Amino acid sequence: MKAKRLAAMLLSSIMAMSMVACGGTAGTADNTTAASGGDTATETETEAMKGSVEGELTVTIWDENQRPGLQQIIDEWSAQSGVKATIQVVGWDDYWTLLEAGATGGQLPDVFWMHSNQAQKYMENDMLMDLTDKIAASDKIDMGNYYQGIVDLYKSNDKQYAVPKDIDTIALWYNKTIFDECGVDYPDDSWTWDDFVDAAAKLTNDDHWGYAIAPSNNQDAFYNMVYSMGGEIISDDKKASGYDKPGTIKAIQMCVDMVQKGYCPDLNTVSESKPEVLFESGKVAMTTQGSWMVAAFKDNEYTAANCDVAVLPKDATTGKRVSIYNGLGWAAAANTKNPEAAWSLIEWLGSKEMQEKQAQLGVTMSAYEGCSDMWVNCTDAFDLNGHMQMLNADLVFRPYSKYTTTWEDMQTEKLKECWTGEKSVEDICKEICDSMNQTLSEE
Amino acid sequence: MRNFGRITAREKSEFIWGWIFILPTMTGLIILNIIPMFQTIYQSFFKTGDFGKGNIFVGLANYQKVFADTEVWQALWNTIKYAIVEVPISIIISLVLAVFLNEKIKGRSAFRTIFFLPMVAAPAAIAMVWRWLYNSEFGLLNQILPGKANWISNPKIAIYSIAVIGIWSIVGYNMVLFLAGLQEVPKDYYEAAAIDGATGIQKFFNITVPLISPTIFFVLVTRVIAAMQVFDVIYMIIDITNPALQKTQSLVCLFYKYSFQQNNKGYGATVVVVLLVVIMILTVFQMIGQKKWVHYN
Repeated sequence: MKAKRLAAMLLSSIMAMSMVACGGTAGTADNTTAASGGDTATETETEAMKGSVEGELTVTIWDENQRPGLQQIIDEWSAQSGVKATIQVVGWDDYWTLLEAGATGGQLPDVFWMHSNQAQKYMENDMLMDLTDKIAASDKIDMGNYYQGIVDLYKSNDKQYAVPKDIDTIALWYNKTIFDECGVDYPDDSWTWDDFVDAAAKLTNDDHWGYAIAPSNNQDAFYNMVYSMGGEIISDDKKASGYDKPGTIKAIQMCVDMVQKGYCPDLNTVSESKPEVLFESGKVAMTTQGSWMVAAFKDNEYTAANCDVAVLPKDATTGKRVSIYNGLGWAAAANTKNPEAAWSLIEWLGSKEMQEKQAQLGVTMSAYEGCSDMWVNCTDAFDLNGHMQMLNADLVFRPYSKYTTTWEDMQTEKLKECWTGEKSVEDICKEICDSMNQTLSEE
Repeated sequence: MRNFGRITAREKSEFIWGWIFILPTMTGLIILNIIPMFQTIYQSFFKTGDFGKGNIFVGLANYQKVFADTEVWQALWNTIKYAIVEVPISIIISLVLAVFLNEKIKGRSAFRTIFFLPMVAAPAAIAMVWRWLYNSEFGLLNQILPGKANWISNPKIAIYSIAVIGIWSIVGYNMVLFLAGLQEVPKDYYEAAAIDGATGIQKFFNITVPLISPTIFFVLVTRVIAAMQVFDVIYMIIDITNPALQKTQSLVCLFYKYSFQQNNKGYGATVVVVLLVVIMILTVFQMIGQKKWVHYN
């Protein structure tokens, strides 16, 4: 009897553990809105990420919307090089889980996307192929042609680990129907943040709000305001938090005031329905969104019929109009079985012609400076000059450090407390500053 | 004394075949469960580096941090609250359903299928559907009911809203187990009780419940274990901007956050070891408590 009970207990504890083990792999959530390009990715079936196979290239990305265009570009390369290359799409969340598992087990795909949240970790651990010498020897690739922030992002210890792929800008999307209804002029490049707040007040009534922002809308919302008002999120040397800067506090105060006065939906509402969802259903008049949302807004009948896009407002005091940008990079695995072909494909994808083609096909704006003009014509539904002109504004690279996610999550969780009015903006900024400095000191 | 050298050919072949039959299960258990279990415990003593390289032994530092971390205790409390609501209610509902569906009623298999359907759907899909049902702006619940409730973003009620999803998902599965248990109950007892003039309710409490108590016990133990490991529904429904996050995230959610989102596998492992210990303690208590109410034949 004793033995039986012991066996039963042992069995239940094993079961307990096995369920814990299963817990980790289940579930996929919608992406962080800040993830460039990842946001509109449709959920695809989770297949195991394929590792490198000799004589054939595996290309892995996370955005289904970009697959058709990129496949076209890659097919052209296959026709020239005679090497078969297949694109595999894995949703944003699984992408990083699988990539990390692949890196740990030495089974990375040949060519894949890198992102600012993770790049540092992969570069420092020699998981990516060092492209420095290959770039120096190439007549197609010159790092001077790309937006500097993206180039620097994929550089570690003076070695280049990825070739910039695309760039995104943030712009002010607005609902023309609501503007007409409330008799407010459409936003233009003369708008300051004060005009923006005034307009939001006028555009608010029982049916809709003026603007919507959640504490997680960093790159696509409050980061732009922070830098526009002369504040910063992280210092240039990535050693100190910028949450003690008056400009930073001022920008966050502006957002919180709008929420408190009711021009923006409260935290409960935006946590259940994201700003873009509210915008797509005519519940908010304005939203700040990244250029990666164009594909989704274009396919949505309501936004295509009622909405348009303009540049972000500037700050009255500093006169600065800022777009926080980010860009993906094409990287190759350090241990790929086809180093020559992998580099040849990356060189092809980074070349001027293909960067132009990427914009023309409406995949994304391109990281190669001056190659994005064709992108404006990729849809008739909106005047994409709103996004294009932001390329001429003050471009600030999305704040990052080695463990960006750690302090970014902390920042989101703390900001919730001033969104709800539990704590003052000053107190919260001080708390974020201390905690972030602590994290940065451990990097 | 028995001489092992002289076992019969039959005994020998039974011995070999016995092992061959359990070999697939044993291999799976050892490779997928038992080895990772010990690796997890081992990992909880380290500050882990990227890609499994450069782990630094830190002794009990992770455990000291866990015991001082209010977030972990809050998560444990959230998990317990979830289990307290989900387990008893789902067992009661499914037991009652099982008793009714054990009678000869019209469309019995249709009802059984309907109640079992949630088990067939993927948890992630279930969570997405419920997330829209609960949505405060566009959700069906707020359209039907008067007033406007923030079902999944009000810190006071969000965990119960999630427990409702848990109950809904599991009732069918429990019901099937109870139905199997009910098949074992001999009809004579009910006949004897009917002759003595017992009502349906009396029969339920005096015959059905005691006789299927081993099944109830099995369901209770496995459901408590599963409820303590609730993850996917919470992860899918409560995101980082949700004001109810602190009051709803379970221990496994915390484990996921540290291990996979913040890349701190050592601390994540520690959190999950704490969960393992809690579950073991709960299970031991249930094992001791069963003497009082479980009747084996």
